[in-house]
Amino acid sequence: MIALSPRAKAAWQRCLASPRVVAGAGLIVMLIVVAILAPWLAPHDPQEQELLSILLPPFWMPDADPAYPLGTDTLGRCILSRLIYGTRIALYVAGLAASGAMLVGTVLAIVAGYFGGKIDWLISRAVDIWMAFPPVVLALILLVGLGAGVNKVILAIVLIDWTRFCRVIRSEVLVTMTLDYIPAARILGFSHSQIMLKEILPAVTPLIITVLSIEMGIAVIVEAIMSFVGMSVESNVAAWGVMIADARTTMHQSPLSVVFPIAAIFLTVLAFNLLGDGLRRALDGRLVQRNG
Amino acid sequence: MAFLALQLLIKRAFLAVPILLCVSALVFLILRLLPADPIAMSVPPGATQADYDMLRISFGLDRSLPEQYLIWLGKLLHGDFGGSIFFRRPVMELISKALPATLELVSFGFMLGVVIGIAGGLGMFMLRGRWGEQVLDGSTTVMMAIPEFLWAILLILFLGVLVPVFPFIGRLAPDLTLPPAATGFLLVDAALSLRFDLLMSVLAHMALPALALAIGIAPLLMRVLRSSLLETIHEDYVTQARLRGTSETRIVIRHAFPNAALPTLSLIGVQGGFMFGGTVLVEMIFAYPGLGNLMIDAVRNHDLPVIQAVALIYCILVLGINAVVDVIYLAVNPRLRLKGRAA
Repeated sequence: MIALSPRAKAAWQRCLASPRVVAGAGLIVMLIVVAILAPWLAPHDPQEQELLSILLPPFWMPDADPAYPLGTDTLGRCILSRLIYGTRIALYVAGLAASGAMLVGTVLAIVAGYFGGKIDWLISRAVDIWMAFPPVVLALILLVGLGAGVNKVILAIVLIDWTRFCRVIRSEVLVTMTLDYIPAARILGFSHSQIMLKEILPAVTPLIITVLSIEMGIAVIVEAIMSFVGMSVESNVAAWGVMIADARTTMHQSPLSVVFPIAAIFLTVLAFNLLGDGLRRALDGRLVQRNG
Repeated sequence: MAFLALQLLIKRAFLAVPILLCVSALVFLILRLLPADPIAMSVPPGATQADYDMLRISFGLDRSLPEQYLIWLGKLLHGDFGGSIFFRRPVMELISKALPATLELVSFGFMLGVVIGIAGGLGMFMLRGRWGEQVLDGSTTVMMAIPEFLWAILLILFLGVLVPVFPFIGRLAPDLTLPPAATGFLLVDAALSLRFDLLMSVLAHMALPALALAIGIAPLLMRVLRSSLLETIHEDYVTQARLRGTSETRIVIRHAFPNAALPTLSLIGVQGGFMFGGTVLVEMIFAYPGLGNLMIDAVRNHDLPVIQAVALIYCILVLGINAVVDVIYLAVNPRLRLKGRAA
């Protein structure tokens, strides 16, 4: 266990006291457990087709089959099992894509903010160019160029959303640069990389964590969009976007089967949003204290 | 004032040129990474190698990358977007049909979103401390956790399928015909030709997609407006007004709102840009024949000339919106105007 400074400890306690953080983190832990335990939790194989029992309704409706608690889709696949396995794809993309975007965005933001001048100009103009695209449009173009697939979706999200980290963190780095301890560190003979890693990075870490949480929710949405239009996983894989695309064609016969995957996306995004929102409020207090 | 606004617009236009050049080069480059061969996908099954080569040459795909880019750019400057590989028609023709549809939808959705956002923000402020605020606050959380394209599907499910109130396919009922002399903006066309059946049909078809887009921008507007209103409440002019015995509603409308509107306004601009992104999926889901639908079709068929052109149009729209918002911001924020004069 790393020893926390008193200030970090106070921030940590404020986070634990925030109902948003607790609710969001609790939901996320629950989703992670579902994803890990999917083979044991799911009553059926998510790909298994039972063509004799297609479009079964969920358990509370008449004609339901208790073996399929949330009913079946057009190919007789168990909706509950597919939902459970879909959690794996969603969290896999959320974790990898958001971390990748964070890494690229943060490095560029700190480099831009710390060195300023031409480097800053170049990075900021790149952000301007990226911001001219609606993100969905850029994502589609990238997936045409890179080819479809879930790992390509992750790469596309990293290549698009690094700007979200870069913009926000760069301005925070600029604020940090005005504080006395940066020149002090220079006078003490710290190297550039030492200052960036040991002085600036810790100062912007609370912000990074907040943006990371929000970005994970966005990554879940982008993956759902891309698997909905058929640019992410193979069309038989149990991903929520694929399920929505499938269920959309049978909305008249079984209206509820489209609601379940939407509810799953809603819960996941809600969890990341609550966590991000709670962290922002809890950690902002630290900013106020430091500046005041 | 008008001079300042013009100055700003010209400055923004100059800044937009290098951005658009970079954007176009970027799009061109990314699309050339494509592992699939768009020509091979579009030739009929019985085609010979000679047919294939001829098509390749006719689309200029036999030349080097920089050459292809410069040729494309040169034609672009003459208003020629090239030909669609999949639709076998000029890209310009496809875009000139799709663009008005998207603009119409975005304007409608944008107005709806702003109305909901402002009404909700004011409502949240007026109900502060009561359970009504909690309900509205909770609703913003829900709205934000569901992206536009899922709202689109939910709206179709509830207001199209379960309770069939609104149509949800296309722009117009299939039994209605378009008036001649069409501008492409169906609302304008219908109004000009005094066809009220047409007008109602167009509005009904736009209702759900526009609402889905509106829900995408409304919750953030509600929250930002509420918090800016909460900040004004401690200002002296509000206390003064209250001491004069002005009613609470009047204080909000006359004093708090105009002062709180600025942050909301700049947010509205940013959101307006985002809304174009939202249209891509929403249009596809409603089979609404706009740019987004065209984009999805082009992406699925690897129709590179169409993808390039539509992407560029989207970027122009986003940059245009940003410039317009800056001008409006300048118009309503007296502090910026003074700064501009001093400089």
